Amino acid sequence: MAEITGRGPNGAGASPVIKVRSLVKRYGELVALDHFELEVRRGEIFGLLGPNGSGKTTAINCMLSLLKYGKGEVSLFGEPMKSDNYAVKKRIGVVMQNVAVFNELTVVENIDYFCGLYVPEKAKRKALTDEAIAFTGLDDYRKFLPKKLSGGLLRRLNIACGIAHKPELIFLDEPTVAVDPQSRNHILEGIRELNRNGATVVYTSHYMEEVEQLCTRIMIMDKGKAVATGTKEELKAMIRTGEKLTAEIYDLPENVLGEIRGVDGIFQADYSDNRLTARYPADGRHMITILDILRRGNVAFGRVSSEPPTLNDVFLEITGKELKD
Amino acid sequence: MFWNIYWKRILWFVRNTETIIWTWIFPLMLATLFYAVFTNIDASGQFSRMPVGVVDNGAYRQDAAFRAALESVSGEGDGSLFDLRLLPSQGEADTLLEKGEIDGYILVEDVPVLIVSGSGLRQTITKSFIDRYLQTKGAVEAVILRGGDFESVSAFLEPADYTEEISLSQNPPTEKVGYFYALLAMVCLYGGFQGMTTVTGLQANLSPLGARRTMAPVGRFRMVAYDMLGGVTTQYMCLLVIVAYINFVLGVSFGPKLWLVLLTCLAGSLLGVAFGAMISVTSKLKAQAKIAVLITVTMVCCFLSGLMVSGINYTVVQNAPAVAWLNPAARIADAFYCLYYYDTYERFFLNIGIIMAMTTAMLAVTAVFVRRQRYESI
Repeated sequence: MAEITGRGPNGAGASPVIKVRSLVKRYGELVALDHFELEVRRGEIFGLLGPNGSGKTTAINCMLSLLKYGKGEVSLFGEPMKSDNYAVKKRIGVVMQNVAVFNELTVVENIDYFCGLYVPEKAKRKALTDEAIAFTGLDDYRKFLPKKLSGGLLRRLNIACGIAHKPELIFLDEPTVAVDPQSRNHILEGIRELNRNGATVVYTSHYMEEVEQLCTRIMIMDKGKAVATGTKEELKAMIRTGEKLTAEIYDLPENVLGEIRGVDGIFQADYSDNRLTARYPADGRHMITILDILRRGNVAFGRVSSEPPTLNDVFLEITGKELKD
Repeated sequence: MFWNIYWKRILWFVRNTETIIWTWIFPLMLATLFYAVFTNIDASGQFSRMPVGVVDNGAYRQDAAFRAALESVSGEGDGSLFDLRLLPSQGEADTLLEKGEIDGYILVEDVPVLIVSGSGLRQTITKSFIDRYLQTKGAVEAVILRGGDFESVSAFLEPADYTEEISLSQNPPTEKVGYFYALLAMVCLYGGFQGMTTVTGLQANLSPLGARRTMAPVGRFRMVAYDMLGGVTTQYMCLLVIVAYINFVLGVSFGPKLWLVLLTCLAGSLLGVAFGAMISVTSKLKAQAKIAVLITVTMVCCFLSGLMVSGINYTVVQNAPAVAWLNPAARIADAFYCLYYYDTYERFFLNIGIIMAMTTAMLAVTAVFVRRQRYESI
């Protein structure tokens, strides 16, 4: 499957902070990354979107030089990324998918510890630690041990540990997994603020709504490959679906469904679970046409909704399966 | 950087419940238990004067030689054998014997005769004393009858020593110290928890924490060294507390060379931490399984060094000397043992040398595995 690439204005022209060329990573027989290519520009919030097992975390771990890979090149800030390239590592912040903190150290001690791996000066470190605590809203929990924190607060601590030293490039690997909505919003707003303050962000998630809200550019991944890259508008423009109609119908005769399918421009119409779904380009005419056909066929219908395509639709159209799968 | 990693490591240790239980509470409890069980071992091995009666009849009063001999080994002095009681009649002696207030009584008629109600070590000693007296008396009488002069009789009575008693140790031998030294060896090896946690927390393929720390812009060996130093410090502190408890609270002596005791604790701490680190890096088991392996190996080593059964260490030395020399627990316990018993330092420093060599070898193995920063999978 060839990658589809958008050419939007976001980040265009800015120097690439991350450049990955033809990366191949295998786990035995399984190809986890198949000639994976990526370019992230300075100042972007770049989203890696894909179902579980699509290779997002593997891609990040290869970029960070935690994982060995068979083929390909990774360069960060214009330098080849190696495990002992400490100058580059110093400019990076990593928030792992799994919470990685010391259970025996308090919130403030944990942040101070990880910040201290990057910033040796104690006074500077203290100021940065306080800033990270304020940034993640953990001020009331400074002396708490991680086991006393809720899942959402623990995730915030995980983020604070990764960003306290004010990195230029931040990798956030599914930071909102198992987080309550309030904490999730707090985390997403925090990421926007980091970006406003100049950080380039690489954000992985399998929650398409999050990626859609947050990211300036998105790469959709499947089976270790980038299947589409661009802004959300560009991605949506890549597919035929411009609008998706859903109508609740108790009984839809086959001939009526056939008539809908025959309408010029409607390229998909399905009926299942008492629900009619039709996809067509966004030109404003097709919804009226479909409702007219239903009326003429004496088909009673309930709630009718029409919505623009989501990233799930993009994924569905490109890969032939739901992103949620 | 150093203080940040080092100090947080110490904080980690003093707040980690598992480690506190295994390296502080468990050894302190075991030491207290040893004290309760073994405190009477030495006392039971000491000789106490035997309560023996003698019927104060005419024959006894007339046998001045026997009376003098008996009185010379009775009384309060150090060399006393008997707590001698003069009894007015044989009936009185029988009554005390029945009540168990005396081990036996001596009735002098033609010759002194020992009357006892049972057999045992004390009765045998009393009988031996009487037999020896009668034998000497007979020999002296024979010499005099054959015209022996005073000098030859004196020479005959003079005790001749054909052996010389030399104390090999500056401290009195006691069985219980071996248990406490083996216990300290166990605490040293429990430093393995420190080494294990250090390694697990630094390897990306073993923990998320390891992955995050691998991403830090800090040299691999620097991070391991600072972390391990924190581990050794906390382990050393732990050992000092336990040594102080055993020495000052339980009253178990370590001999007069305190600074060498502290050196042994330090070497033991290093060995323990290196031991755990090596087990951790060389095994692909999960964390809990690794802890189980560490505890099992530690307990086997401690068993062979005499922690559970007194004297097993000597059996191992006799039958499998290589095992004894390569057993880290045995070497640590033996170092403490040398400080207590030996006046010379050869064996002690040999033990310390072996401990340091083992530590170096274990750290080298650990270094080979830990230097890796990129993994096939995490």
